[in-house]
Amino acid sequence: MIMAKAKTNLRNWVFGLPALLLVLLFIVVPYLNIVVMSFRNTSMSAPYAPGFTFDNYTRVLGDLYYLVLLRDTLFFALLTTVLCFVLAFPVAFHLARTKSRFQGLLYAGVLSPLLTGVVIRCFGWIVLLSNNGIVNQLLAYGGLGPYRLMYNHTGVTIALVHVFLPFMILPIMNSVQAIDPRLEEAARTLGASRTSVFRRVLLPLTLPGIQSGVILVFVLSASAYVIPLLLGQGQVQTVPTIVVQQLLGSFLWPFGAALALTLSVSVLFLVSTFALSTIRSMRRLA
Amino acid sequence: MKLARVGLLIPVTATYVFLLMPIFVIVLASINSAEYLSFPPSGFSTKWYQSFLNSDQFMSAFRRSILLGISVAFFASLIGTPAAMFYVRFLQRNREQFRFAMLAPMLLPEVLTAIALLFFFNQVLFGTETILPLLIGHVVITMPFVFLTVTSALYNMPTAVEEAARTLGAGPWRTFRRITFPLIKSGIITGATLAFIMSFDNVNISLLLKSIGTVTLPIQILQYLQYDFDATAAAASTISVMMTMMVVLLIDRIYGLRAVRF
Repeated sequence: MIMAKAKTNLRNWVFGLPALLLVLLFIVVPYLNIVVMSFRNTSMSAPYAPGFTFDNYTRVLGDLYYLVLLRDTLFFALLTTVLCFVLAFPVAFHLARTKSRFQGLLYAGVLSPLLTGVVIRCFGWIVLLSNNGIVNQLLAYGGLGPYRLMYNHTGVTIALVHVFLPFMILPIMNSVQAIDPRLEEAARTLGASRTSVFRRVLLPLTLPGIQSGVILVFVLSASAYVIPLLLGQGQVQTVPTIVVQQLLGSFLWPFGAALALTLSVSVLFLVSTFALSTIRSMRRLA
Repeated sequence: MKLARVGLLIPVTATYVFLLMPIFVIVLASINSAEYLSFPPSGFSTKWYQSFLNSDQFMSAFRRSILLGISVAFFASLIGTPAAMFYVRFLQRNREQFRFAMLAPMLLPEVLTAIALLFFFNQVLFGTETILPLLIGHVVITMPFVFLTVTSALYNMPTAVEEAARTLGAGPWRTFRRITFPLIKSGIITGATLAFIMSFDNVNISLLLKSIGTVTLPIQILQYLQYDFDATAAAASTISVMMTMMVVLLIDRIYGLRAVRF
């Protein structure tokens, strides 16, 4: 009997095994391989040389250029996250609570950017923001400009906010939907002002949604590659653009790997600190 | 009360405009007769679409993207569906770990996955000269979506019908084919659609693992934007957006895309 059960269990693994092997072979092993690669020696004639060294990390952490690059990448990811939150909260709240018959259409409006490739959305922003783009043409009618709206961090941040905004709206919307609207009414009836309803009722209750939105947007924008590439047109460098340049342009695989891992570890550290502190404040509120 | 509602409505409307503006201007640029979108538009023209249709580079990238997307959708569902069944129906221990492993490709930064695969294919496997690395890369990152949609479809179906079929003498395969499959079909189709769209729009994996003969449409547009600058890219983008919207609308009409949740 026990034998028969063990046998069926084993046979059932046939269902899970292909997916597990796929993840093991093409995620786990390659990721471990990046770690190994980051300790490899540099070679002039090949992507890397045999033997191991710490040089790649000392070069990343010892060079002010890369440290400033890392700081800027993290700072603009943070700025993007804050801007996304500010724009997302009203939309998420409205979308969760609206009784409009266009709710489905509005939901599609939030989802539609997700269904449009990043390249195309960046292209849209280039048409809008470039030196002779639509925004500057419109400003010229008012006798203003032209302003430099792209090829710098302004344009890159605008596009980052645009591309990742849905990832903030959707989780917050889900947590607003879970709140009983009578709670706000009760707080209002009991004399709470609008701001204190927001601060003392809405914000704490939507914290789980905000938490996942913030983590998603921060991770995505810190590791964004195409957006700084297209809106920066070579004028804006971030860790991902430099990494890809090192890999595809200079074929410096070990150094590129070390730089990429430094960014990932920094992001992971910030995200887990944030997650732990928000979990603690969620517990305190509960 | 009314004032507060207006106060909410203004930023909300502004954000929707912000969200849709870039797509709107692309469509506008593609039917505008000028080289570059001038405001107000200078006139209607289909010449950018003709230029797209006559461009071998764009057309071959477009065909390649569609073929790749269909293959990715097929393989991602072929691998993701049984994994979801295994997770929901059979797995007893280490359930959280298995789920995490299945979702990991979706949670990891895509550029890092692309870099990892670039090293891996060049060092260990067959290099990146063929389209196979692209196919594998896309299947890895889209499989989690199939896993998610099929998992929720399985949770939403009553298990009693499967038991009834088994009691009435149907074998496991017949039970799956006649009972389980029709009930979770919408979940599989939704997952496959998402996989197609993710593959069709993918840049990071496609860019790092491409070679001369394996350029996809987004990469072709990207390269065009870095060197050339006429509105052919706008026509290509518009067609690409229309493609995705059409797929989504069609699937939504037939099955309903309720399972798309984050």
